[in-house]
This record gives sequence, structure tokens and C-alpha cells, in this order.
Amino acid sequence: MSDAGYDKQQAREAGEIARLLSYVLILLASVGLFVSAAAIPTSRFEKLGAGAFPKIVFAGIALVAVIAIIDALRKIPAGAYGRFAGQTAAWAKRRYLVFVVLATLAVYLLAIPLLGFPIASFLFILVLELVLMPRKPATLLIAVIVAAVFSFGLNWLFAEVFTVFLPRGVL
Amino acid sequence: MDSFLSGAAQIFTLATLIYMLAGSVAGIIAAAIPGFTVTMAIVLTLPLTFTMEPLQGIAVMLSVYVGGYTGGLISAALLGIPGTPSSVATTFDAFPMARRGEPGRALSLGVWASFFGTVISTVVLIVAAPPLAMFAVKLGPWEYFSLIVFALTIVASLVGDSVIRGMLAGLIGLAISTVGTDPIMGRPRFDFGIEMLETGLPFLVVLIGIFAISQLTSEVEDSKSVRSGNALVTGAIDFQTWKVMKEVLLRPVNLIRSSIVGVLIGALPGAGGSIANLVAYDQAKRNSKDPDSFGKGNPDGVVASEAGNSATAGGGLIPLIGLGIPGSAVDAILMASLMVHGISVGPRLIMDHGDLVYGMFIAMAVASLMMLVVSVLSMRLFLRVAEVPKWLIVPVVMVCCVVGSFALNNRVTDLYLLGFIGVAGYALRALGYSLAPLVLGVILGPIAETNLRRALMTNDDPSLFFTRPISLIFLIAAVVSIAWAIRSHLKQRKTSGRSTDAPAS
Repeated sequence: MSDAGYDKQQAREAGEIARLLSYVLILLASVGLFVSAAAIPTSRFEKLGAGAFPKIVFAGIALVAVIAIIDALRKIPAGAYGRFAGQTAAWAKRRYLVFVVLATLAVYLLAIPLLGFPIASFLFILVLELVLMPRKPATLLIAVIVAAVFSFGLNWLFAEVFTVFLPRGVL
Repeated sequence: MDSFLSGAAQIFTLATLIYMLAGSVAGIIAAAIPGFTVTMAIVLTLPLTFTMEPLQGIAVMLSVYVGGYTGGLISAALLGIPGTPSSVATTFDAFPMARRGEPGRALSLGVWASFFGTVISTVVLIVAAPPLAMFAVKLGPWEYFSLIVFALTIVASLVGDSVIRGMLAGLIGLAISTVGTDPIMGRPRFDFGIEMLETGLPFLVVLIGIFAISQLTSEVEDSKSVRSGNALVTGAIDFQTWKVMKEVLLRPVNLIRSSIVGVLIGALPGAGGSIANLVAYDQAKRNSKDPDSFGKGNPDGVVASEAGNSATAGGGLIPLIGLGIPGSAVDAILMASLMVHGISVGPRLIMDHGDLVYGMFIAMAVASLMMLVVSVLSMRLFLRVAEVPKWLIVPVVMVCCVVGSFALNNRVTDLYLLGFIGVAGYALRALGYSLAPLVLGVILGPIAETNLRRALMTNDDPSLFFTRPISLIFLIAAVVSIAWAIRSHLKQRKTSGRSTDAPAS
């Protein structure tokens, strides 16, 4: 087996472990929510109370998650767990742009109430464009124009045409 | 007849027609951009339609839908990249054809096939939906609950590469729908003391987070492709519009077969254009006299794929109008838009709001005609659209998502929710969960719960779910669909080893 093929196999095993972790998380969450659903009082006018349907759903989730966990445990070879950390780091490195984008989005969402929609959006679009684009002077001009149109322009459009006022900010 | 005329009168107003035209153009443009799916386009259109009349809003969204199924063709034919998942099979033959020096013919073939596919599916819809609704109003809460169980299991078993994760996604969707006040007694649940959650998670924000944000994020996974541009096919393009129309009509068997495949797949809950184009293509290839020429620029391949994916638009509306159960994520969004206007969707829709339903039929026909005219007249312009690079699309569309989520309730807290759901949605997508069952779960949850509790309020005996014949049939069908899916997955695993290609996710 070639190196690349071997890497892929390991990557797939790491993926299975990540899924296994997600099943466990889902199982824990569903059990917790099942218990809290049991605390919802029932009405004496109906057989099933407000908590019954959620209880059925969470029981279903827990059941499927247990099956998934058993299935995943069967599939993952013992050696894979040791390599998991390394594989995850490699995966995160390959997809670093994803984390950059999500982090920028989070900062943007938090900045909207402070800076107001137009300024926050302008900065958000521009920063993300600068991160993602091929760095050439011609594209920089396009980037600035697009950022301006979709921040200040969009704000104007919604205020004037749809009479939806986007957050103005406190500054 | 009255409601038909009333529906027509509402569609054929200048304002509605202009909005619909804008919708078609927006749909074609959106789908022509690789990485921008039809679903995303419709999710983002929804907030703009809140201020419109219900029928007007639905008509605009249908135009985006119909236009979107065609737009994916442009980048599929010229770049070999499907603009949307529903035009994957289009690349098989349209791209070689374009490479061979006939890009205009490839595009025209696809446009005409899409047009006829939509028209055929609209006809089927008009014939099939009213009788289905007549049947559905006779169903009691027992049957309805069982039907929804069946719908969810079939979604879970059809979509994605794992039945277990499909079921988990559907159940998580149901769980999300239980947040907020319960649908019968109005008792608050799972709000954890957070004021925003008392009214439940806003459906639109969940949709935008799940579909748009996670999709956009996954577009930047490969850092190399983001930073490079693709060159389009250059040179003169001759569309030969009328010649190609004849060419398409001279393949009636393929056209009708592919459209029927599209309608049937579209009518199944969960399965939509992204499956139909592949099945229709496969059927065309199997029935062809010359199967070897498929994949090398055979016009039949283009016709099959495009007619197949466009026909799902009408097919998906059949269960939506007849039963009040959306056939796909897009139909779920259409249903949400009606609910925003206070119209409850169910089998009584066609009786209580006949004008709306007939208006939707007319809007489908008008939208497909508009799509045809717009594409034929301005295909050259849309060619440029496919060139828009990802580094522009991702940030701009994310801002549009933020605007869309904010415009619904004018609440800043919705934006935090959007961010949270976007991250969760991306995590689920990266782990190989399919998101369509989740969205259908969210929309079907309250319907399932209401019917389950109503059934037991009417009669204490839970065994009625198994003794009422129609209810029993649905439950058996649900079990069969899961068993069948598990069996075919096991078989697949045996023959081809493990088929998951998602690396370390």
C-alpha cells in the first residue's frame, strides 16, 4: 500500500473516532434532556403531557446513539486511538481556513451591536476577502468596492426599500 | 373555477410578475455560482417575501426554485463543475459536448430539457395533488402520526451515506422542534431560563445556519482552490435555440421518462434534484441503443439529467399540497413561508385556500416560461457569473445570511443563535451527518407531536396506531424502509469495502 493510501486509511479511522465522540456527546445530551423532560408536569386533561413527546424523541436519540456507538467501536482498530490526536491536528491544519472563517464570523456577530451593521459588515467582508483572495492589486480594488456595496449599500437598501433597520451600534 | 381565476388574477399583476422575473434571474445567477446552492438561494429569498402577499411571496420563491434548477447547468456545462448538487449528472455529457466545440448546443439542450421537465411535472402536480388531498383529509391523527414517522424514516434512509447518522439527524431535528412552548397546552419547555428560547428556536435562523453558513464554510476547506481562478470556455457561442428545441422534442421517450423519474423522486420526502438527475441519467443510459456514447457528449445524457432535476420541483409540491408534508428541504422552506403568513399547510389547504394552491400551479408554469425566456435571451451574461470567485462569494453571502436572520424578528440575539447553529451545522456536516433530515425533523416535529397527543386525547388506547389499517401500512412501510436501507448498506460495504470518502472529519 502506498504512503498516500495508508494516510487516507488512518485519516478515515480518525474520522470514525471523531464520529464516535459525537455519538457519545449526543447520547449524554439526550439522556440529560430526557431527565429534564421527565420533570415537566403533566396535565390532568390528557394522557400525554407536554413532556411525553420530547421524552419519546430523546429516548429514540439515545437508542440510535447506543447502536451507533456499538457499531463504531466494532469498526475502529485498537491502534487508531493513539493516532487520533495527530490525525486531528493534521486535519485541522489542512482546513485552517475553515477556522479562520468561523472565528471571523463570530467576531463579526459580536461586533454588530457595538459598531453597527454597516461598519461591522464592511470590516468583516474586507478582512475575509483579504484572507481568502489571491493577492493582486487589481483584486484589492474590487474587494473594497464589493465590501462597501454589501455593507453600506445593503444597509441603505433595507432601510429605504424594505424599512427594516439593521442594528445601528452604540458608537 | 372561482379560486382558479382568483389565483390567476393574483399572479398576473405587474408587481408579481416583475418580482417573479427578478426571482428567476436571481435563481439562475445563484445556481450558476459554484458553491451557492438552490436551497441557499431560497432560504435567503424568504426574508424578502415577508412584506409581500402570501401568494406573491410563494410565487417569487417558486421562480427562484425553477430558475435555480437551470442555473446549475451553466457551470456544469462550461466548467465541468456542478453549480449545485442537482446538476452533477449534467457535467457527464454537457461538459464533453462544450469541450468538443458545441457549448451553445449543450446549454440550449439543458435549458429546453429543464423547461419541458418543469412543465411535465406541473401537469402531474395539477392532476395528482387534489385527489391526494381529498384522501388525506379523511386521515385521522393516528394515520398522520404514522405518515410522519414513515416520512422521516424514508428521508433518513435515502439521504447521505449512513442510515444511523441520517436517523440521528432527523431525531435531532425533532428535538430542536420541542424547544419552546408545547403546541397543545402552551407549556414552556427547555428554555433554560433564556427568554429568547421561550417562543422556540426561530425556524428561519435554524435554516440559514444549517444550510447557508455551514455550506459556505465548507467551501473554503481546500485552501488551494479558493485562491485560484478557473478559465471559461472562450470563443463564439452559438445557441441554435430553435433547432435544439426540435432536437429535444424529438426525444420524447427520454424526456418523459426522465421527467417522470424526477416527479416520483421529488414526491418522496427527502429525495430531491440531487438524486433525481443521477437516476434519470442512469435510466437513459440503460435504455439507450448506444450506451457507450454516454459520458462523451451524448445529447440524451444532458436531456435526462436536466429534465430529471427540474421535474423534482413539481414532484416535491405534491406531498406538500396534498398532505402538508414537505418533500424536500426547499419545500420545507416554502411551507415555512406560508406559516409565516399564518396559513396552516395541510390537506385542507386546497379547500380553504384554493386560490393560493391554483396560484402556485400557475406560478410554476409562469416561472418555467420566464426561466426559458431569461436563459435564452441572456445566457451570454450568465456565463460571466460562473466566473465569480469564491473569495467574493463567501463573505458577501455570509453578510446576506446575517441580514436575513436579523430581518425576521429584529433581534440581535438571533444573530448569536445563527453563529452557534452555523458552527454546529458545520460540525455535523464535517462528521458526515446529512442535514436534510434534520431540517425536515424541525418542521415535522410539531405536526407529529400534535397528532400523537390528539390521537391519545380522542381515545386512550395506543394500540389504535396498529389496528387502524392505513396507520398500520405507514408504520410497516417505515420499518421496511429502514430495513431495506440497512440491508443495501451492508451489501455495499461487502462488495466495495467502505465507501465513505469523507477524510478525517
